[in-house]
Amino acid sequence: MPGFDLHAFFKQFLYDPQNPLLFNSGFFVFFFAIFITLYYSFRNDFKIRRYIFCFFSLYFFYKASGYFVLCVIISAIVDYILSNAIYRQQNSARKKFLLLCSIVFNLGMLFYFKYTNFFISICNDLLHAGFNPLNILLPIGISFYTFENLSYTIDVYRGQFEPAKKFSDYLLFLSFFPKLMMGPIVRAHDFVPQINKEYSINEKDFAKGFYLIISGLFKKLVISDFITLNFVNYIFDDPSRYTGLENLFAVYAYAAVIYCDFSGYSDVAIGIAKWLGFTIPANFKSPYQSKNITEFWRRWHISLSSWLRDYLYIPLGGNRKSTLATLLFSALFFSGALLAIFSLLNINFFFAIALSSGAILLFVLPSVIKKKEGNVLASLNLLVTMLLGGFWHGASWNFIVWGAIHGAGLAVHKIWEGLTGRSILKINNKRWYNAIAIFITFHFVCFAWVFFKAASFTDANNMIHQITHDFSFSVWPAFFNNYKPVLAMIGLAAILHAIPDSYANKVIDRFQKVPLVAYITIFFVFVLVYGFFKSAEPVMPIYLQF
Amino acid sequence: MPTVRKVFLFVVYSVLVYLLISIFSLLFHFRWLPLERVNLISDITSKDSAVLPDSPSIEPPLEIIGKPHEDFALYNKPHLITNFSSDTTRSSLEKFTKKLFELKSGKKRKIRIAYFGDSMIEGDLLTQTLRKLLQQTFGGSGVGFIPITSQVSQFRQTANESYSNGWQDENFKTNSNNRLLYLSGHLFHSNGDWVQIKDQTITDTAVVIEKSLLCGYSEKPVSTTVNNNPFSLHATNPLNRIVLTKDLNRSVKLSLADKILPIYGISFESDSGIFVDNFSFRGITGIEFASIDSSFLRSIATNNPYDLIIFQYGVNLLFRPNDKNFSWYAKIVMPVIKKLKNCFNEADFLIVSTADRAFRYIGEYKSAIGIDSLIKVQALLAFESGSSFYNQFKSMGGTNSIVQWAAAKPSLANKDYVHPNFRGAEILGNYFYQAIINDYEKYKRTMK
Repeated sequence: MPGFDLHAFFKQFLYDPQNPLLFNSGFFVFFFAIFITLYYSFRNDFKIRRYIFCFFSLYFFYKASGYFVLCVIISAIVDYILSNAIYRQQNSARKKFLLLCSIVFNLGMLFYFKYTNFFISICNDLLHAGFNPLNILLPIGISFYTFENLSYTIDVYRGQFEPAKKFSDYLLFLSFFPKLMMGPIVRAHDFVPQINKEYSINEKDFAKGFYLIISGLFKKLVISDFITLNFVNYIFDDPSRYTGLENLFAVYAYAAVIYCDFSGYSDVAIGIAKWLGFTIPANFKSPYQSKNITEFWRRWHISLSSWLRDYLYIPLGGNRKSTLATLLFSALFFSGALLAIFSLLNINFFFAIALSSGAILLFVLPSVIKKKEGNVLASLNLLVTMLLGGFWHGASWNFIVWGAIHGAGLAVHKIWEGLTGRSILKINNKRWYNAIAIFITFHFVCFAWVFFKAASFTDANNMIHQITHDFSFSVWPAFFNNYKPVLAMIGLAAILHAIPDSYANKVIDRFQKVPLVAYITIFFVFVLVYGFFKSAEPVMPIYLQF
Repeated sequence: MPTVRKVFLFVVYSVLVYLLISIFSLLFHFRWLPLERVNLISDITSKDSAVLPDSPSIEPPLEIIGKPHEDFALYNKPHLITNFSSDTTRSSLEKFTKKLFELKSGKKRKIRIAYFGDSMIEGDLLTQTLRKLLQQTFGGSGVGFIPITSQVSQFRQTANESYSNGWQDENFKTNSNNRLLYLSGHLFHSNGDWVQIKDQTITDTAVVIEKSLLCGYSEKPVSTTVNNNPFSLHATNPLNRIVLTKDLNRSVKLSLADKILPIYGISFESDSGIFVDNFSFRGITGIEFASIDSSFLRSIATNNPYDLIIFQYGVNLLFRPNDKNFSWYAKIVMPVIKKLKNCFNEADFLIVSTADRAFRYIGEYKSAIGIDSLIKVQALLAFESGSSFYNQFKSMGGTNSIVQWAAAKPSLANKDYVHPNFRGAEILGNYFYQAIINDYEKYKRTMK
């Protein structure tokens, strides 16, 4: 008979690098139960409730990433002090200096943890410097809370927001555990006022929260994990071994995976927050149904794209003016593109110059077409924003290339709008036009995913080579036969993706009177489905040759 | 009921029910896999039974006939090429190491290795490392045999290939009854096509390279163009090795209009030295060679002789996670091995075991449970056919090594838990080279 292992029991409370805390850890179930009991018991004492919340959030952080929890605490202290100082400071020069301190501190920390080794490798490649990479681990969630810190101090600086008076308010805003690892990036002016509010939610909030949590977990733990393990990993690991058809489906599958992963996490975070009385705006709105790439960025990871718009694109000058930073980054892009084209694609120097100039021209064209000469340089702000946005996702050239592709897509869309203008007003609401537009946008996004996911530039190229040079429908029967469960999962992802928020709300309205027992039953059905797929026989790869 | 209370009650009730189910299923040994995988308290209870079924007992498909001075158990030793002789101080590949010794001692001659394999050596993986190291030690330049077209020609680093689209490819999969396929498993017919191949392995610019065409029989001379000059082929044997050019160039272009002449590939070799021909064919197990005509094989042995034949298959037998019995394979492949050995009687024959391959068993990747059984079968094939054996599985690290290789940073294997990547293949190539050198050293010592 299995016995109770006391040692293992105590070890559960400590951080285990092999087994960090996630929403699907058994530990989280207990964690959340104890948390909700305390939170509910002290719901009317805002102070104690806040402390409980802070403690549990920081403990969650510790269980997820060990002593990196100190980074959150330190950055909370520094930004709390700085933001209050900025708020009190009347002298505008000093105010600016304090803001600069905050930016340098936050970006410095992000840079150190996330990008040091990347720049060391660049130095080694360019200067043959031979520096050893440092042994730096990336603290979980640092990209998210750095951006939250920045938006907070910048808002205070802009006078748009009165800083939190209590340190615990600020600490909770930063460490709020549901959004800790993968966002959404919340804004202080939305979030902080909700901290010291009466804890009350209605039936609809409960039902919506439940729907978001279960569907989010399903997307992330069942669909995304299944497709990744049983298909995407095989192909992306060595694209040259697989035919074009398999590679193409791997890209579609990855589009499903990244959507389910990312939006699933966001949904769980938003759902838990809802249950705790916090409203966080939606982060994904069926992005693959976008008719153009501009619309895509209004529907994909909304909290990031709006952050980039408010704190990067607009300070750079938006679409009206250019700043020194615009020119500096564009020059960097030009030389980077030149170097990349020259060394990666092996083409001659003049072609490389022509190509990189062409890339720059792409961004400038829309304002030339619209005859707004004054805005020509400002158009480059878009390029800069997308490059840095790409780089935010990870310290590698692939993410920069991914950002550049999306930037180019946005620019081409602007050119298209400028060229067609009102001439397509008659057709651009027709069904067939929309279908074509969605098809093109989706495939463009997929094309960019290749660079986002592939381990290296060579792998990405191999993948595209296979799709364009080794494509044959004759392998379909064997492919279909082997990957039926995977294809079914992709289909399921497509259905979940297609459910619009408004439709979900309508259904939830009808479900308001459902008794608690029904909710608990649905929850256990989910647990069993999860258990079933966790123990399912793996789908093995096949190597189709003919 | 206020809704905040509903949240509280939902969580508390769910967790209580969940906990009770978890405890009861553990207490009463209720083993239902979906539930077992999500048991809340399995982490804090001591395990009382192993999760994986025990390894099966292996029934030998071929009988081990006890011979004096032989030790079958040697097959389990890593990094060792063994002919099962209990005297491990003697070379196992005696004919081959003798030839190596002659070459090293200054005699001008060619030593050719045919490396048969599946997708594990596709794209010249492993063999490119082996070739480079052997040529560094014993001399010789040239990539060896290159098929006319191939699935992976764009990714192969050691040769740069371009060809027109009309080549008709007959092979093990599409024409399994064709008795005249080459050792590569392919036969090509031109439809007025051309091929251009450049050897990327040669570092010494002063060495003369022989570019030879390997082709089948033709009644009449066949007119072709080689590097845009007219060239007449006299292909009078079942297998012909015809030198197209012999110069400092690393590349050759061949075009021909004749649709009948069977074309196999082009070989790049210097006058003297050691050469490794990579014969990879995805998805096969070695039994496919049964269809090739014996007299054709003998003609290969005469006109393009090999000194060592390496037979590395097995991973494609492990396509289901729970397979443990491979005696059916032994029965089918034994005649094939005997036939190859017979036709290439001047060559030593070496069977290389499969490398590690893992499946996901209850959520965790582990070596295939049948792998030990398969390797034993492969060793028995070597033992019974009088071939030598090299345990690649043990050499790469044994049980679960592919899992570690896939997890290593940078990774050494793909996440299909089958294929070592180019970094992993380089390691395998190095290990194998070292095993050959060790065997060669044994021969050298007996000479002193």
